[in-house]
Amino acid sequence: MNAPVLTREQREAKLEGMGCKRKRVEDIRFTQGKGNYVDDLKLPGMLFGDFVRSPYAHARVKKIDGSKAEKVPGVLAVITAETLKTVNLAWMPTLAGDVQMVLADGKVLFQNQEVAFVVAVDRYAAADGVEAVEVEYEDLPALIDPFKALAPDAPLLREDLKDKMTGAHGPRKHHNHIFEWSMGDKDLTDAAFAKAEVTTKDIISYHRTHPTPLETCQCVASFDKIKGELTVWGTFQAPHVIRTVASLLSKIPEHKIHVIAPDIGGGFGNKVGAYPGYICAIVASIVTGKPVKWVEDRIENLTATSFARDYHMTTEIAATRDGKVTGLRVHVLADHGGFDACADPSKWPAGFFNIVTGSYDFPVAHLVVDGIYTNKAPGGVAYRCSFRVTEAAYCIERAMDIMAQKLGMDPAEFRLKNFIKREQFPYHSALGWEYDSGDYHTAMNKAMEAINYKGLRAEQAAKREAFKRGETREIMGIGVTFFTEIVGAGPSRNCDILGVAMFDSCEIRVHPTGAAIARMGTKSQGQGHETTYAQIIATEIGIAADNIMVEEGNTDTAPYGLGTYGSRSTPVAGAAIAMAARKIKAKAQMIAAYMLEVHEDDLEWDIDGFRVKGLPEKSKSMTEIAWAAYNKPPPGLEPGLEAVSYYDPPNMTYPFGAYFCAMDIDVDTGVYKVRRFYALDDCGTRINPMIIEGQVHGGLTEAFAIAMGQEIRYDEMGNVLTGSFMDFFVPTAVETPNWETDFTVTPSPHHPIGAKGVGESPNVGGVPCFSNAVNDAFSFLGTKHIQMPHDYWRNWVVAEGLGLHK
Amino acid sequence: MDMTGTRHIAASRQKVWKALNDPKILKQCIPGCESLEMQSPTDMTARIKVQIGPVRATFGGKVKLTELDPPNGYRIVGEGSGGVAGYAKGGATVQLADEGSGTAMTYEVRADVGGKLAQLGARLIDSTSKKLADEFFERFTTIVGPVVGEASASSGKRPGWLKRLFSRLSGKRPKEVSA
Repeated sequence: MNAPVLTREQREAKLEGMGCKRKRVEDIRFTQGKGNYVDDLKLPGMLFGDFVRSPYAHARVKKIDGSKAEKVPGVLAVITAETLKTVNLAWMPTLAGDVQMVLADGKVLFQNQEVAFVVAVDRYAAADGVEAVEVEYEDLPALIDPFKALAPDAPLLREDLKDKMTGAHGPRKHHNHIFEWSMGDKDLTDAAFAKAEVTTKDIISYHRTHPTPLETCQCVASFDKIKGELTVWGTFQAPHVIRTVASLLSKIPEHKIHVIAPDIGGGFGNKVGAYPGYICAIVASIVTGKPVKWVEDRIENLTATSFARDYHMTTEIAATRDGKVTGLRVHVLADHGGFDACADPSKWPAGFFNIVTGSYDFPVAHLVVDGIYTNKAPGGVAYRCSFRVTEAAYCIERAMDIMAQKLGMDPAEFRLKNFIKREQFPYHSALGWEYDSGDYHTAMNKAMEAINYKGLRAEQAAKREAFKRGETREIMGIGVTFFTEIVGAGPSRNCDILGVAMFDSCEIRVHPTGAAIARMGTKSQGQGHETTYAQIIATEIGIAADNIMVEEGNTDTAPYGLGTYGSRSTPVAGAAIAMAARKIKAKAQMIAAYMLEVHEDDLEWDIDGFRVKGLPEKSKSMTEIAWAAYNKPPPGLEPGLEAVSYYDPPNMTYPFGAYFCAMDIDVDTGVYKVRRFYALDDCGTRINPMIIEGQVHGGLTEAFAIAMGQEIRYDEMGNVLTGSFMDFFVPTAVETPNWETDFTVTPSPHHPIGAKGVGESPNVGGVPCFSNAVNDAFSFLGTKHIQMPHDYWRNWVVAEGLGLHK
Repeated sequence: MDMTGTRHIAASRQKVWKALNDPKILKQCIPGCESLEMQSPTDMTARIKVQIGPVRATFGGKVKLTELDPPNGYRIVGEGSGGVAGYAKGGATVQLADEGSGTAMTYEVRADVGGKLAQLGARLIDSTSKKLADEFFERFTTIVGPVVGEASASSGKRPGWLKRLFSRLSGKRPKEVSA
């Protein structure tokens, strides 16, 4: 049989390796309704749990009476903190070194806090049981405004910590204080400000919002009393961490706990942490001996499981009159809610917020973050961003605009003047990071040309004149943003979660026929790992991506890893994949040398196999090598073709991008129209351009939501006013603007394939870009900083405040 | 939630005052009231069924009369819990004055609601309260004496709907611009 001889190009195309716009293989099942999510799981005899939640933001719990609920048909048990105390689980540790009530123990600290867990034969009975539980509360004054948290007479929230004036991150200076975290050189920064020619100082707030995955948090816990084994299916972004924490808490040996994360309908940081629902479902299963399912509804998700942001950043820039920055000083008031359940690497209570110097060459900087408790839901997760990086990017990108305005400089020109230059990389920032690579000027210039920046500014100037003459009621804003992210946590020397080092892993097995399976410690929630990971392997070892199955999420089979969040999958697991593949390739080379009867050194890699140098017709494909690896291995070499790699990155990666937005706002209605949005991303080596574009589209849509209206708002009593999709803005295709995407490629020098991560860049860069556009639109009328979110109503209020409606 | 208003009732001040202290009459007049029992001349317990938007609940609570100044007025304060639906607490000052042959009743209500009621019903609370107040006075005047002339609700002249909408909005939200 003569197989058709393929050209090199055809062989390469067949692999669908890195750089190929390969279609997402997971979409075959998702688009046909064949995904397999937690709520699809139905086990025989499965019970359901539902929470009684507090209507109060701050109250003493005087009495919980579950006797009526227990009489509701179908209800089996009402679990309270008292029940959980018998197994020492009334409180649980948080990822941030704090403790959190699983069920209300004596008091409640935020509205919709979990008070009791009703277990019943189905969801309806559970809901009826919840209504029948009688709870007696004594209302306490609620602390909602973070700026009042540290007042001497502020109500005491955490009575359990009353006498504990040292927390997980050092001394606490007030009963509602969690930590103070500082970076940089205070004296040098103060000196820079003392002699500065121009300074700015503004409170830049990043409001409270929520990651809102379409699939809410949920789990099924099943304890097998005979085997003493616990299986938990859940929406876990980090299944192995959940297994380790579950083992430490429950004292069930880790090998007897099986954690399985099936398909996940979006995570965005919301599914990193451990929630009371998981603990209660596990306890209920151990008590009843039956599987117990817990599924959050939308209100519960928005009001009780991890929120994001709520950072209030007093930001000061020092600069020379001709526009060179000389110092940065930032103080953050970080509102963590009732418990510090922030999902950051344990040594980083404010995440990587010290990336706040951004893309600019600040000679000195000083940062202080004060974490505080309020009567709001706990959290502070990285909603589609690396830990606190979108906060930092928003802070510096707004502050740079404010300074440019004060200097009378164009914001793009001001940025170009202060960028870290290409030759300065690797660059050591004033707040302690080593930026791996970058070429900011090239990216910025490309973006400015693509969007015709000069033309837009000329149009804006003309429009402003027309507005002043009363010929139009529309004002035009141009948003300029240049962000630098820090992703891919992390080097284990400084990044861990509760002591678990933040490496990641990959195991590849090549089967005898040349197909392969690869398993990872990460977990896709929609990122397309099954597609892109296979592409890395395809390029590295010459097996077509279609012949590689990628599997994640089962702790029994996947190698130990820290999961997917903070854009760490490609920077860390992606590197582990390349390293595992290279181990396989090295063994394959030995086998090929034996098969071709030459020395290993006489072979060279050629797309999908090895060939003899100078004799291209003498070659062995990876398929042939795989067969030989099992069936005719060289003497002395053990059979098989598989490898495992645990990758501990030497540094993080620093993706960057230049974003521009042109927007028109009607001052009489506040209605805005995004005319253009252009996003140039540099994420280093691009594995699948189509998936990158999809990631950028999704991230920009979330950024648009956050900047233009998406908010978790509380009233002064602590009621959540945006607890459903009636009030919480999630854009649909109707509201979402058109996205223009572009790129430059500056590979990471320390990453095996030079990739940097991209999933979160558009959220990090998009939010300040929209906000800068709105601020830019109003600036010529005398505003300096308008807080987000910029919904129609708030735009109208700004115009009203400026006297534009007289 | 804040609500103020004045109603004219065609009955003597003494008669109106008596009715305002009669749990039987109050029970008939309060919309959704399932029970209202006097525990003492100034303390009552009540069960009231309320629906605000998508949330329906039966509130059980205590009501107390204070600052009694017969027959000129009193202050009524109370709080109640509607279980998973949330809770409400607040008070009203009621003042009576002779007006022609009848009585002018002026009321000032301030109440807070919390829980699911506030989460889901926030935008409906003011309009629902107004509707419930109207229902109350409709029944009250039927029993005690017919209303002469419709209420002068809040600000006298009724503003246009657009202005009302904006004043409601701007009253509720903080100003967030630094100049």
